[in-house]
This record gives sequence, structure tokens and C-alpha cells, in this order.
Amino acid sequence: MRKIIHIDMDAFFASVEQRDNPELRGRPVAVGGGGIRGVVASASYEARKYGVRSAMPGATAKRLCPDLIFVKSHFDVYKTVSQQIRDIFHDYTDLVEPLSLDEAYLDVTENKKNLNSATLIAQEIRQRIEVETGLTASAGISFNKFLAKIASDVNKPNGMKVILPEEALDFLEKLPIEKFHGIGQVTARRMHELSIFTGADLKKRSEHELQQIFGKAGRHYYRIVRAEDEREVNPHRIRKSIGSERTFNEDLHDPAEMKARLSDLAGQVHEYAARNNNFGRTVTIKLKTPDFRQFTRSRTFPQDVTQLEQIIQVVHELLDQNIAEIGAVRLLGVTISGLRLDRQSGIGVQLEFEF
Amino acid sequence: MKFSVSSSELLKQLQVANGSIGSNPVLPILEDFLFTISDNKLTITASDLDTTITTTMDVMSDSDGTVAIPAKILLDTLKALPQQPITFTINENNFGVEITSAYGKYRLAGENGQDFPAIPQADEVDSIVLPASSLIQGVNKTLFATSNDELRLAMMGVYFQVDFNKLTMVATDAHKLVRYTFTNLGSEVSTSFIVPKKALNLLKNALDSKDEVKMSFNKANAFFEFGNTQMACRLIDSRYPDYNAVIPVDNPNTLTLSRADFASSMRRIAIYANKTTNQVILNITPGNLTISAQDLDFSNEATEKLACTYDGDGLTIGYNAKFVLEMLNVLESDEVKLELSTPTRASILLPVEDVPGEDILMLVMPVMLSN
Repeated sequence: MRKIIHIDMDAFFASVEQRDNPELRGRPVAVGGGGIRGVVASASYEARKYGVRSAMPGATAKRLCPDLIFVKSHFDVYKTVSQQIRDIFHDYTDLVEPLSLDEAYLDVTENKKNLNSATLIAQEIRQRIEVETGLTASAGISFNKFLAKIASDVNKPNGMKVILPEEALDFLEKLPIEKFHGIGQVTARRMHELSIFTGADLKKRSEHELQQIFGKAGRHYYRIVRAEDEREVNPHRIRKSIGSERTFNEDLHDPAEMKARLSDLAGQVHEYAARNNNFGRTVTIKLKTPDFRQFTRSRTFPQDVTQLEQIIQVVHELLDQNIAEIGAVRLLGVTISGLRLDRQSGIGVQLEFEF
Repeated sequence: MKFSVSSSELLKQLQVANGSIGSNPVLPILEDFLFTISDNKLTITASDLDTTITTTMDVMSDSDGTVAIPAKILLDTLKALPQQPITFTINENNFGVEITSAYGKYRLAGENGQDFPAIPQADEVDSIVLPASSLIQGVNKTLFATSNDELRLAMMGVYFQVDFNKLTMVATDAHKLVRYTFTNLGSEVSTSFIVPKKALNLLKNALDSKDEVKMSFNKANAFFEFGNTQMACRLIDSRYPDYNAVIPVDNPNTLTLSRADFASSMRRIAIYANKTTNQVILNITPGNLTISAQDLDFSNEATEKLACTYDGDGLTIGYNAKFVLEMLNVLESDEVKLELSTPTRASILLPVEDVPGEDILMLVMPVMLSN
């Protein structure tokens, strides 16, 4: 049996801002989202009380919480803090898989301190994070990644939760379906339509049935509700792609509007790639139709695509080539892959005939 | 209406027809077999509206008529019965079906056969006749290369090009391509159409290599008649990509080697390749072929050397091992020839010895290596 810890910083960006600007403490703060079309990157717990969430348009957030203070992001600071907490993790194990700046999985089955109790390790790590960075983190402890991730959410903020092997099935049966990591709003809604509200309801469905309804993901749902998750904590995970996608409140029918949205998404992707100096050779668009069929289309170039104008041109062309078959979309996405930093992994790009 | 039939003979026919029953039919009646009796001949029809299989057999009947019988329960019943004569009695008012075996009686609810959707008929169409064995060959050698991409409808089928005495079948998923041609065809037509892969899969399983197949087609449908069976399928109404344009005309580097050795080496090396890309690398110099793969995530790595004949410049090229293996597996010749140009252009795979009356060409796009 493995011992996995999931550590998740509490309202990370917002907490860093409150730490560094005492006048923000105890007040509703949103990092990002100040611009006309900006979205909130992180909201302090004071703001969350009003319903402000990350990825929410700034205007919406302001409506929910008129006193909301918008602050600019300071990624260099977040990165420094992120490195600090990773150093702490590595005092315990080298099996650390960062998911982003503010969360990571740790496999502490064998650890450098020869501690038997993963709970004790999680407790120590949280204390050290608080002492060394002045920020709080939550932890989930269990025997696989899926359960550890769910557990870290249970007593958030500044708390932790252990799910023991003998408790896992019971815990999952009682868990509302929308709390399952990997089941988003839309899937949750579909499940509700099928009278699946809790893990117990989900468990009653056969693997075959779930696969028929949800495709490949159905098999995943079948397994996770039985606490089956064999994924290893992978310390060498390299970012394979940089992508951004958006589900729209209303389906888009107008190709011109789709193009405008694709340009926005391309802009976000390009900005991230530029910040990390990690461009790629393959540009992909993702389209999801109102009836949830999903398609991706890509084009690969001999060199990295570094110019925003070129990314935009490619995504527009890919849309033009495929829009006739699709009609309307509920989601659009832009991804670049074949990234410079990923190439050390030796993974090439499958080429296609140019019909 | 009442008729008697051998349980095993009926089961055999139903199993042929059953292939075209879809898993989620748009109409409930499409979960049924349509039974039509006329003149002591039973015609069984099953359809998912795109593909329809009809098969006929002799029965002993007291009258003519039609009824739709739920497929699953009927098949299950027949599978559980030892071979014996059985009798069907149809109540013509409520379409109730009663089956009598040596052991007892089984009742199930049928439906009005008149409600079964109309089946496309081969009217005023062109037709050609060919040996089933040739068609089976053609399907087996092309089907694997079709696409599953719903946005590229045309590629979800096999492209048939009939050119008088020649039939060419083409399949591609934009990564690999097969062009299979056989000559000696008795045909007076020149036309082309795309047959969906589902229909070809069914056809391949239903065909007996000893049969002759009459293939006919109109604008919307293709019909295959063989033995006592007919299959009608809706053609894919889409333009097939101009595949000739992607066949390289000048691939100056040629690698010749044993097909079996190449395939078994690829199979071993692929075990060590990254599981999502199946990327293997061929390093080719005159007289020397090295095949290797690695998966850095798991520190897996494998290298093999293979005897070959190579005429060309030294070259390092990557492929998806799965594609290459699929292609090698449908070839029959002892030796194969790989014609290459550059590491980012399509490679041609050919058998060294030809099979008389047929011609096969395969293309595969490489994996562009990262460094």
C-alpha cells in the first residue's frame, strides 16, 4: 500500500499578496481580473465568501463583491515561494510531482526521514510551510493520488484529512458526484440527469454502461469510485503542452466570433509560452459541439512557432477547414505542443499527409 | 401464418444478418429481424438504416406474410437449442410469435412487419462481378488504414475506384495509406464511391471465399450479393482526398529487407517505445539498419541491428511502430522494400515479389524526431 500526500496551498496568489501587503489582510482580494476582459486568477477567502472564484470574469466578481480589491499578479514572487515549498518537500522525498506552482503530489511510502506515518509528515510539512513562507497549506493523505487530491479539499483552508484504506469506499460512496476530481460541472449535470448524485449511485452503474455514456472517461469513473487509481507520482513530469480553452455560456454559431475567441485563446497561450520561453512546433485547436462531440485539429511546423500572428493565422485556418462539418461550438481551445523543453523527452511529432 | 425450419440453419442465417443491427437503434423496430415469407421462401432482413443485410432460406410454410421478431431473444433461444426442426406460429392480429421446439413452447411479442423501414433496392445500377476471395483480400488489406475521425467522413471508408477491368481500393487516416489494385475484372463501368468501414467489416465476415460477389451501386448505395445473401449499404457522401497527390514520385533511397525479420524486430523494439507515440527510430546506412526506441519516463531502451540492402544516403527516420507493423502484417512477400526521401516526407512500402493480378502500395508518414 502506497502513502500519497497531496499538498495544496490555500488561495495561493491571493495569500501571497496579503502576506506582502498588510493593508490587504482580512479584505476581499482578487489577483488578476482588473482589466476589461480579465479573469480572476485567484481570490482570497474573504472574497470567496461572496462567491468570487478563480477563472471568473472580473466584472462578474465585482458585481458579486462590490468591495473587491483587484491586485496585479507577481509571478516572480509566486515562483520563489513555489520553489521554497518544493525544497521542503524534497527534505522528505524525491518523489514529488508538482501539478502547478501551488500544489503537488508526494509519495512518502519510503521517505528520507524514515517516518512511518504519512499523516505526521503532512503535518510537519504544513508547519514548515507556515513558518518558512508565512502561508498556509492544506493536505490530503491516502493510498493513491485520486483520494489524496480529494482529501486535501475536505478541511481546506489550513487543514488536512486522511482517508484510510478501510474508509475509502465508504467515503467515496457518500461523496457528492460533483466533488469527484475530474468530474466537472457538465459531467456532473449529465450524471444528475441519470440520477447519479453520489458515489454510491455511480457505483451501481456497470462499466459498460458508463463507457457507453461517457466514452473513455466512463472507465475512469468506474475505477475511481472503487478507489482504484494506480497512477504513480511522477517527479519528471514535463509539461507536454500549453493550452487554453473556454466553454461559452451560449453556443457560438458565427465563425467570425469563433475566430475572435480563438485569437484571445492564442494570445493567452502565446503569453504563457513566451514567459517560459517554451514554444512548440505543433498548433492544435479543440472544438466541442453542442452535443459534446469533441475534435482536435493540428498542424506541425519544422520550427517552433513563436509569433502570435502565426499562431492566430494557423488556428483560423484550422477552423476554416473544419467549421462546415461542425456548425456550432460550445467550447474552443488552443494548444501548442512539441515544446522545446519537452523535446529532451525524445518524443517526436507524428506527421500527416497534406491532402 | 405458420412455418417450420431447422433451428441451426435459421441460426446460421440470423447470425449473418445480426451484424447490421446497431447497438442503439433510432427506431425500436430496428432491434428486430424482419421475417418475410413468400412461396416457402423466408427472407430475413436486419438493418441499422445505413447497412442492411438480407438473407433467404427455404422453409415449410402454410401461407405468406411478414412479422418483425426481436433479435436478441430469438438468437439466444436458438443458440440454446440443439439442432432440431422448430415451428413458428404468428398471430396475424397482434403479431405474437410462438416457437415450438421438441421441449416446449416459447412466446414473444413481435411487431408488424409493415412498420419495418423500407430497404434500398438495387434499381438501374451498374454492376460488376468478382470472386469473393479477391474482395476479401482487398478489404483485409485496406480496412486497417481507415480513419475513425468523424470530421473526415470520407476517410472513414474505403474508396473504390472501378475502371473497366481494374478495381482500386484506397484507405487512409492521413498517417498511413494503402492503395490496393486488382485487375482481371469483368466490368464495363468506370466509377468511384466510398464504402463505410462498418459495412466492409460485416461483409468480410459474411463472405465465403468460394462465392462470387455481384457488386452494384447507384448514387447513394452499394449492394453486394453473394450466395443467398445481399448487403446494401449507404455510401459515404463526401469527396475522397486526392490521394495520388501525396504519393511521392521521387524517393531515391531504397531499403530492402526480410519482411518477417523487420516485423519481429519492430515488435520487440516497440515494447520499449513510449506507449503514447510508439516512436521507433531507424538509423540506416548502406548494409546497416539499426532500430531503436526509448521511453525516458521509465528508463526503457532497446536497440537491434538488422541485415538489409540499402541504396542511398545515410538517414535517420522515426515511425510509429504500430503503423509499420500493421502494414507489414498485410503484406505477403518474403522481402519488402522501403523507399525513402527525407525524415519528414512520406515513405513508400512495397512488396518485393508481386502477387499476379494485384498491386499494392503503402505509404506511411514518419514521426518528426525531436532532436
